[in-house]
Amino acid sequence: MTPRMMDHAATVSERSRSTLGLGSNSHVLDFATLGRAPMRLGLATRRITSRDLQIVEATEELLQEDVPEPEGIASNVSLLRGFNATIPSADKSRVRRRQTRNVDTQRLGLKKLGMSARGMLTAEEEHETESVVSEEDVVVVGRAAGKGKGRGKRKGRQSLSATKTFGKDELLRQTREIERDKENLHVRRALINNDIEEITHKIEALDAMRAKLEQDLLKLQEEELELDDELEGVKERLELEDSSSRAPSNPAEVVHALYSSRRRKGPAFLPSEHDDLPPGVAFMSLTEHKTPITALDFSEPYGTLVSASQDDSQPRVWDLLTGEEIGRLRGHRGTVKCIQVEDHVCLTGSEDGTVRFWDLRRVDDDLGGEGEVLSLSEIAEEDEAVDEAAPKANGIRSSVNAEVVEQDAALVRVLEGHTKAVSALYFEDECLVTGASDKTLRQWDLSTGQCVMTMDILWAISHPPTAVPGAVLPGHLFPGAAAAAGHFAVPTPPYADGTWEMYEDFVGAVQFWGYALVSGSGDSAVRMWDMRTGQPHRTLLGHTGPVTCLQFDELHVVSGSLDKTIRIWDLRTGGIFETLKYDHAVTALQFDTRKIVAAAGENGIKIYNRTSMQHSTLMTNGHTKPVERLRYMDRYMVSGGRDSVVKVWAL
Amino acid sequence: MPTELPYAADAEVSLQYDELEVLRLQYQKELAQSHVTVQTKFNYAWGLVKSPLREHQVEGVRLLQEIYRAEPTRRRECLYYLGLGHYKMGNYEEASRFNSLLLEKEPTNLQAQSLGHLIDERVKREGYIGMALVGGAAAIGTLLLAGVIRRATRK
Repeated sequence: MTPRMMDHAATVSERSRSTLGLGSNSHVLDFATLGRAPMRLGLATRRITSRDLQIVEATEELLQEDVPEPEGIASNVSLLRGFNATIPSADKSRVRRRQTRNVDTQRLGLKKLGMSARGMLTAEEEHETESVVSEEDVVVVGRAAGKGKGRGKRKGRQSLSATKTFGKDELLRQTREIERDKENLHVRRALINNDIEEITHKIEALDAMRAKLEQDLLKLQEEELELDDELEGVKERLELEDSSSRAPSNPAEVVHALYSSRRRKGPAFLPSEHDDLPPGVAFMSLTEHKTPITALDFSEPYGTLVSASQDDSQPRVWDLLTGEEIGRLRGHRGTVKCIQVEDHVCLTGSEDGTVRFWDLRRVDDDLGGEGEVLSLSEIAEEDEAVDEAAPKANGIRSSVNAEVVEQDAALVRVLEGHTKAVSALYFEDECLVTGASDKTLRQWDLSTGQCVMTMDILWAISHPPTAVPGAVLPGHLFPGAAAAAGHFAVPTPPYADGTWEMYEDFVGAVQFWGYALVSGSGDSAVRMWDMRTGQPHRTLLGHTGPVTCLQFDELHVVSGSLDKTIRIWDLRTGGIFETLKYDHAVTALQFDTRKIVAAAGENGIKIYNRTSMQHSTLMTNGHTKPVERLRYMDRYMVSGGRDSVVKVWAL
Repeated sequence: MPTELPYAADAEVSLQYDELEVLRLQYQKELAQSHVTVQTKFNYAWGLVKSPLREHQVEGVRLLQEIYRAEPTRRRECLYYLGLGHYKMGNYEEASRFNSLLLEKEPTNLQAQSLGHLIDERVKREGYIGMALVGGAAAIGTLLLAGVIRRATRK
């Protein structure tokens, strides 16, 4: 110790002395150290412990700390005040005062009273009771305090204080003491209030911490879901590569895709540059369209996009890698309302009641003057094609065929049968299901182009499936059911920009998986069909407006409607699992296990995080008018809006 | 606002044993609940510093250091108590360093000034003892030397 102290004396205290100006020179200090040494050695109490060293060593560190101005409780109540107010001796004067007021009385048995009042009467105490004269005696205090009981007759009840005098000094002293006690109380109150406040802060901090942790937990859950999807994607890929290696002689003429991208899970193949894109930002705009986008779909991220717009019968085909238009699909005679693309296979459904089957590999960029100027030979070809394809359905139109439609090399097949606009379609492998404003669903075989089955929604409405578990028919059912008999047309609720439209698509959406088919229609019902029988087996009722879009997976059906909601249905119970409310009509949606992406009549694209239940909106560089269509794969999304622009987003 | 502080003499008045015990129990109760209020900690620490037992003083100063670390708003007050604690323990260097830091902040602080003088005096006194020791040793040494020389010369 001593050498260390010397050290101190030589180095550190130099500074302290200079600041303090102690006036002593280093000589004295050295002697002081020396002088202390024998005292240390001599007295047993001055044993140096590790604790000693510890606190001395801490000095340096403590002196480095900043000493701020005291504030808050520290400036109001000093530690010493608090100490004086809270130590046990602070109560002493009170006890003393109380004792000065005590009066010697005859034994009252008060303790016994108290005990018995608390129900603590013991045998011993009962014994004692007998010695205390009677209950009456116990109550009458006056006699005990005063004259004794010699008289036999009871004297008037006298106050206890009557026998006591304090004197002025004592009373003044008591006044002062009481004042001090009150002040102490004030101090203690301030201290406790401060502690309460401190605890409140701590609780807040802890709450924040808890919220943070819960969020982390949700993130983990999300990550797990993502991994699940990825695993499934990898397995699917394994299967695919297995089968392709087993049958290397790939039939070149099979034009349909093996796997539907609609149900494909897991990460898509993205160029590595995609990771550099800021998420939630539209990084590409395709502006060729002149009218609001009515339908769009793409083969894969940075693949081929097909998009259609109002009053334009020729959907545009884009190369998403460059953002350039490759060509157009010429053939339809009305607005194209639905598109599905799988690889190079593209199906489009149009207002003209036909569905056309295109091979996107054969789309070439022969924009002969934007496709408006046509050669005679092409006209002839087209007429020929129409004649042989559908003489019945197009009977009227071909005769009124004033506007000449060019025949495209990419066209593989025309599927005719619907009598009104085809508003929804879905295909997987060889099987196609379409929904049209003639209020029927049709199932087609793509290899032959034949209609396999027709499902009549009107019939389904009038013959509801007997067992509708969990669904009560709402009385305020949308008038769609009533209007179903005639022409279906409903004005959409105004979009965010105040515009509205006449909504005429009776079938908003269809999707199937295996034999399970789900349709969303203008009678605000989501219907589940069995494609083996063509019968609906369950109707999900709950929407109050036409259903415009839907998608389902193993667990849920998610449907969007003009009633400004998205409903998530539980497939097992048929009940509503969750309802998401929006400010405007929902026109398109897509979901996976983690999120629901929706176009809900606003400029921004709505994303609902299913894990954290948080809503967000994609706005950056987005549409300038409400979004109506969208489709995404993994972290790549394409959307089309009423501003006639197609935007490509990184998610 | 000058801080309200006790004079050094106050630190010499130790608490009753049972009073200190009450403070200790209160402190340990709160420690068990893992929420120790500053006042409780200080009460116990100050009670310990007032104690004549050195182990108590050490523990008291340690607690004061904890308060100093944890409560920036209480640091100025703690400077004084730390100075006082070290002074009582006889660590005058530390005591004067804490006290001088406080005087830097509050040059008019009477308690700190008085503590500064006290520390000064103690240091001086121990210095004299030291000098006396050295002097004594020198004297004895001289005597011995003289004796040795005398013996040597006698022979």
